[in-house]
Parts: sequence; structure tokens; C-alpha cells
Amino acid sequence: MRKTGRLAAVAAFAALATLGAACSNNNDGSGGSGGSPGVTGTVTISGSSTVQPISSLVAEKFNAANPDVTVSVDGPGTGDGFVLFCQGKTDVNDASRPIADTEAAACEKAGVHYVELKIGLDGITVMTNPANDTVTCLTKADLYALFGPESQGFSTWADANALDETLGGAGSFPDAPLDITAPGEESGTYDAFIELAGITDTATSRGLSETQAASLRPDYQSSPNDNVIIQGIEGSNSSLGFVGFAYADQAGSGVKDVQVDGGSGCVAPSHETIADGSYPLSRSLYIYVNTDKAASNAALKALVDFYMTQDGFGSAGEADYVDLPAEQVSSTQQAWSGAVG
Amino acid sequence: MALADTRTTTDAVRRALTGRRRDLGGRLFESGLLLTLLIALATLIVLLAKIFGQGWSVFAERGTSFLTSPMSQAAGRAGIWQGIVGSLMLMAFVVVIAFPLGVGAAVYLEEYARDTRFTRFVNANIRNLAGVPSIVYGLLGLAIFVELLGFGRSVIAGGVTLAILVLPIVIITTAEALRAVPNSIREAGFGVGATKWEVVRSHVLPYAAPGIFTGTVLSISRALGETAPLLLVGAIQGTFFTGSQSLLERLQGLYTSLPTVIYTWSRQPNPDFQKLTAAAIMVLLVVLLMVNATAILLRNRYERKW
Amino acid sequence: MLGGGGAQAPRPVLTVADLRGASRRRRKGRLIRGAFLSAAAVSVLISALIVVALVGEAVVFLSKIDLRSLWSDGWFPRRDMFDIRTIFAGTVIVSLIAMLVAAPLGLGAAIYLSEYASQRVRRRLKPALETLAGIPSVVMGFFALTVISPDLIRRLFSGAGIFNMAAAGIGVGILVTPLVASIAEDAMHAVPNSLREASYGLAARRRSTSVRVVVPAAVSGIVAALIVGVSRAIGETMVVAIAAGATGGSLFTLNPLGPGQTMTGAMAALGTGSDRVTGGTAAFNSLFFVGLLLFAMTLGLNVVSERFVRKVRRRY
Repeated sequence: MRKTGRLAAVAAFAALATLGAACSNNNDGSGGSGGSPGVTGTVTISGSSTVQPISSLVAEKFNAANPDVTVSVDGPGTGDGFVLFCQGKTDVNDASRPIADTEAAACEKAGVHYVELKIGLDGITVMTNPANDTVTCLTKADLYALFGPESQGFSTWADANALDETLGGAGSFPDAPLDITAPGEESGTYDAFIELAGITDTATSRGLSETQAASLRPDYQSSPNDNVIIQGIEGSNSSLGFVGFAYADQAGSGVKDVQVDGGSGCVAPSHETIADGSYPLSRSLYIYVNTDKAASNAALKALVDFYMTQDGFGSAGEADYVDLPAEQVSSTQQAWSGAVG
Repeated sequence: MALADTRTTTDAVRRALTGRRRDLGGRLFESGLLLTLLIALATLIVLLAKIFGQGWSVFAERGTSFLTSPMSQAAGRAGIWQGIVGSLMLMAFVVVIAFPLGVGAAVYLEEYARDTRFTRFVNANIRNLAGVPSIVYGLLGLAIFVELLGFGRSVIAGGVTLAILVLPIVIITTAEALRAVPNSIREAGFGVGATKWEVVRSHVLPYAAPGIFTGTVLSISRALGETAPLLLVGAIQGTFFTGSQSLLERLQGLYTSLPTVIYTWSRQPNPDFQKLTAAAIMVLLVVLLMVNATAILLRNRYERKW
Repeated sequence: MLGGGGAQAPRPVLTVADLRGASRRRRKGRLIRGAFLSAAAVSVLISALIVVALVGEAVVFLSKIDLRSLWSDGWFPRRDMFDIRTIFAGTVIVSLIAMLVAAPLGLGAAIYLSEYASQRVRRRLKPALETLAGIPSVVMGFFALTVISPDLIRRLFSGAGIFNMAAAGIGVGILVTPLVASIAEDAMHAVPNSLREASYGLAARRRSTSVRVVVPAAVSGIVAALIVGVSRAIGETMVVAIAAGATGGSLFTLNPLGPGQTMTGAMAALGTGSDRVTGGTAAFNSLFFVGLLLFAMTLGLNVVSERFVRKVRRRY
């Protein structure tokens, strides 16, 4: 009996220790000044893994000033995020592309009202290996011929030449292995690329079905991990791929940015060309906020208010994306104040 | 005159029996076997070396703030505090649920049950449950606790799922510990008129306690390392910050666990997170080592030899 | 029962009822027994719940999809392509590679520890092997991605991708090795020494004794060890989720040097992508369908392993 007594004591101690750990207010940020002290509540943010770093930064800063608020930020993907959002399960959806018609319809059907707020700019950088001299600029026709749904099975660049010429491209790719590493279809970057590079339009005009037109060729090395994509590009002399601009910018000299010709000449991706829209593959980053919930959840409203401040908008640049230019900032702020009255 | 052959029969036999020196094939075979064992151990050493090599710099730079900082997008600030707290809370659930249920079930099967078809079925069922992949328990947790019973993505759902996962292990190890208690102990109790329960309580359980305790601790260490079921049941993989909440709210709220944090960080594109992942793994391995060592020490200390 | 008359009072008679003890104690004992019985019944309840949950959702899945999509070009659940062959092939390839690693390493280690190692060596090395069993699979997944893949696979095979099934398979194999070794070693240890002595008495060498006497005598345990190893390899999730790639989906592939999707990897990908996407989409329900297949496979293997052990066990 003595032994079980001792064991029971140990168990009780362990349980108390756990309770103590759980009860203690853990060190989430420092108790800050400013913000609205006394705001409590829970905010759930989900959606794009591209926008997640920005929302995460904003949440961190917000939490430092409002330690009583519970915020969670997750990044399963824009599409998956919208499904949750339109079921009313999240308060804010991060999105690296605008909401699709089907998703908007689902939201309406479920009675979820939202406001679309643009919070930053991003680009998609197409990359290849620096050893690949012949490829410096790609047109949208080229991109379709290399990445598009009809390119399944092309294992060398030259395989795409025929398709490229049909679409009006030069058809002058070299005969080198085509090693593609790019995001997969759970990623908003994937969807954004399809949209911006005109894959869908070209495919539908060539008679593909809707589902087929909205996808790339499936036979490439896909990864949600942008670092892996960059490693893949570095690893092959004739590689090809695309990532968000922020990651490509950080990537260094092992990869080479490819210029993109959207019809008005070859443009290289940079902070400036994305900001002024001259780079064809530039996109906006959004957050979608559930307005009904904002009306009833003080913490949610406070968080988005914070997002709309200079500090909030500046998080895009801090996360290595492109800050929204001033006039777009004010139109976003107006959209928000208009939505919550 | 030639000398008589001085080799005796004894010598000849001895040389044949101890002729290992000439058995090249045998030596090779033995070396091959030893090699397989050493390869297995070498991978362990390489793994530990790589992890500690990568992760050490994090502790050298940031010391214990790595342990007490919450998650963050910025690699320089990110820490595993929420993972540690989450894992502790989950383990509390595992102990509170799996220990009584597991010991109770094992006591029934070993002490009370007669050898009927039902008993054999229950035993076979438990052995099968022990072999079910952990992700299937995640599916169970998702369907029943998160959805059907409406616990949502809470610590409760995660904790109960993990408890169910280790329950078969607790039952099996407890049953083994109970079987190891000699029957004479039980007979002695019955002999002075005790009921079954009194015998179990005062004779069998105390003597099986070290083995039971060891089994429970080992199942805790198994639950600590589990990731797959928690991913399905809703452990947060992004970042989250908890405000001030009561204990009850905290239990119903968001959580993560240390292995989940490791998984999330291992998929981060930012290369700085690789070092953080290694450092988090270091912490997990150290904790597991401490838990297992405690189990073994306690078993050695309290074990009785019959 | 005493006969006789007389003025004596009848002697008290001892019946069973007297020996049974106070009724309160007995009632308490019955209550306690009931409590323990319900604890044991919980385990049955859990099994039932697993089957119900999996079968229920799997049926929903099958009713939602076009059954032809179970035989398409690849496993792309978000695109309504649910090719079972792809994930099945992935599981087979990863498990095969895993057993190619675990069987020789595990059995070799078991034979060495059981037949060759001295007590001192055994006391040192056996716990080290058990430590390997305690490595969480997340850790092994990270190791597979950051060490096995670049330093081993890609160095040997220059065409291999960063994510490849071979690295995942080797990682799983390392995790399974201690399991195989421990069960096989127990089986060999249980072979009575009389058999070994008999063999030595016929002047057999240690090698011949081990291979020709002990191993065949322990074959049921060894086969059980291998089957349990396969079952564990099939169910391994995190190593595959981290190191084998193909998180969004995969075309049907048999190439271990490239990424691929196993059944468990597919489930983890659905869980981390559309993780809390509930009801609604067929992709979510496919999670349970694959889970049911996995459950059936591991259950079948476990049952076979037990039957085999019972059937082949030699009686001494």
C-alpha cells in the first residue's frame, strides 16, 4: 500500500503541475501599450499560405498590444480556406487570388456576408537555372506550352515547340530535359499562376473542358514548400518553375528570374514592376472578412482595424511582399469603413 | 628412427572443436550479423549527431528563450512554448483516461474473466487495436469527437483521441504485469477469506504496480511522439496566440503539440526554420529520454524478484 | 443433521451461506467487477466505433463519386480523381523498400544478439536498439528529408528528386527494424537450449546451428515478426508525409526515385490541406475511404500473423 500511495502522490503532483502550466498566462508577447486594452475574444484566420506570413505578423503585433485576445492563423490553402469561410467557420480568409464565382455563390447560399480587402501585392516569379542561357523571356503562349494541361508528357523543352508555334510563339526551345518544380494544386499560387498566365483562357479557347482548363499538367514535382521548389530549380541545369515573388527574391544566385512578356515586351519581376502593374504575373493579396461576425465580435473588428493602419499594411513589406501603393491603401480603408459602418 | 607421432587424440579433437580460427566462413557470417546490428545503431547515432549539430546553435544563441517563446513567423523569435504546454495538457488527458480504463480492463481480463469465447474475443480485439495505424485513430477522433460529439478542434478532442490510441498498450502491459504475479500470492489472500477484489487490491496490484507504472509511462512516451492523429483532429499548424482564458476555456480551445510544431516547421520554406526544427526535435528527444529513463529506473528500483 | 433426542440444543450447522461472508462485501465486489467489466467492454466499443465511423463515411464517399474515378490517371482528390492504384502502389513501394531494409537488419541483429553476443554485449546493445524504436516518426521524417534523401539517395542516383519514395522507405525501414529484431529475437531466445546442444553435439559450428537449427525452430516467430513489420510499415504516416512529397496528388508511378503518394500520405495530405473541411466535399470523405482500406489491410495482416503463429508453432 505504501508504494501505491507514493505513486498516487507522484501522479497528483504531475497533474497539479500540468494544471499550473495550463493556467498560467504564458508569455505571448509583452504587455504592450496602446491598442485597446480590455478587448477580449477569439479570431480565427485561415486560408492562403502565401498571405499567412502577413496575417501572422499582424496577429503577433496585435496580440502584443491586446494580450487578452486569442488569435489563430492557419494556411491550408486559399481554396480550402474559402470552403471553411463560407461555412462560417473562420472569421477572416487570407486569399492570394480573388474569390471565385462558385465560392461567392456558396457564401451567399450560406448567408455569409463579407468584404474584400486588398492588403498587399505579390508577383509570381518564373525561374530557371542560371546555366540555362537560351531562355530569358517567356510569353504567355510559351508558358502554356510548357506548363499547360496539354503538355502532359513533354519531357524536354523541345517537345513543347510544336504547341508553342500553334499558339503563336517562337517555338525555339532547346532540346534539354524539362525538369519542372512548382507549387501543387492545394496552393493559391498555383491557381493564381493559371489565372495570370492565361492558362484557363487559352485552354478553353482550344476546346478543353472547364475542369481541365483550370489546371496545369499533373506530371511535375509539386511541393507546397517554396524552399524545396527553389532547391529543385538549383538542382537541374534546365529546370523550370515558379514561386511567389518574395521567396524568389530571397533565393539568391542559384536561380535565374525569367522575364515575362504579357504582350507589351519582356518585363522582369521587381518591387517596382509589381507595384505599378507592368509585370504581367503580378497579383493582389486579399483578406476577406465576415462582416456579420465583425459586427458582433469586438476582437475581430479591432484586429481588422489594426490591419488597416500603417503598421498593419506595412506588414506586407516586412514579410517580403510588396506594400500596397498609397491610393490602393486608402480605397481599401474606405471599403472597410464602409462595410462596418 | 622416426619419432612416433606425438599428436594425441585429445589434441586432435581439441583442435577440431576450437578450430574457429580456420572457419573463415563462420567468421564472415558473424561479422556480417554484427554489421547489421551496427548499421542499425549507426543510423541512430548519425541521426542524433545531425539533429544536435543543427539545433545546438539555436540554444547557443537564444538560450532558454527558445523554450518560452510562442510561435512566430519570424524565425528569430519563434519558440516552442505552446507546443510544450499543449503536449503537457494532452498527456494529462491520456493519463486520466487511459490509466484507469486500461488497468481496469486488464484487471478484469486477467483476474475476473473466465476463459469464454467472449474473453478470447476481447483479448484478440485488444491485440488488433494495438496494431491499428495511429492515423486511423485520428479518423475516429475526427468523426466521433470533433464532429459527432461536437468537441470541435479542442484539447479535449485531441486528448481523448490520444488516450484511446494508447489504451490497448496500457491494457497489454498491465495484463503482462498481472500475469507475472505468482498465484501463490493470490491463494494466500483467498486462504484467509478475502474476496476477489480484496485480493486484487491488497495483494496483486501492489506487487504488479511497478510493471503497471512502467507500462503507463511507456505509453505516455508513445503518445508524446504522435503527430498523425492530432493533425486530423485539429492541432493548429499555423500560429496562434491565446489571450487570458479560464482553464475550461483553454481546454476547449486551440492547441498544438510539440511534434505538430516540428512537423509545421519542417515544411516552412524559410531555411532558418530548419535549425529551429532541429532544436525542437532535440527538446522532444530529451523529454522522451527522460520519460523512458524514469520508467526504467522506477522499474528497476521497485521490481521484486520472485 | 443430528439425530437423537434429549434435551440438548441442536448443534449449529455450517452451510455455504455461512462461508460466503457479509453480503455488503459481496455486493461491493460485484459492483467492482461490473466496473472492470465495463472498462474491458470499452475496448470493444472502440473497435465498433472505428468500424462504424469508417464504413459510414466510406459509403457516403462511394455514393458521392463517379465510381469510374477510382480508376483514373492519378490520385488528385481535389480534382475528383481517386485512383486507388496510385496510392496502393505507393504504399507497396514504400513498404517493400522498408522491409528490404528492416528484414536483413532486424533479423541479422536478432540472430547476433540471440546466438552470438555475450551477456555483456547483449546488455549494452539491446537497449540501444530499443531506443531506435522510440524515435518519433516526425523526427525520422525530418531525418529522411534532410539526410537520407540528399546524402544517400541523390548521391547514388543522380536523377532522384528531393522528395522520393526511396528515402521515405528507408526511413520507415529504420523505424521498423527494432520491432522485427525484438520479436524475432524473442522467438529465437525461446528455442530450448537442448536443440542447440544437440546440434553442437554433432560437431556443428555456431553458424550452422544458428541457421539450420535455431532459425527453423523459431520460424513462426520470425514470420510473425516480419508480418508485424509489414503492418507497421504500411501504417506509417509522418515519414511519408514529410519525405515522399506529392502532397497535392500524384500520377500513377512506380518510380521510387521520385515523389509518390501512399495511402497514409494521402490521408495526411487531406488532413492538413482540407483538414477541417467537413462534410460537403468528396475529397474529405475519401479520407475515410482510404482509412477503411488501410484498417482492413492491417487487420488482415494481424489476423494472418496470429493464425500463422498458432498453426506453425512446433511443440517441444
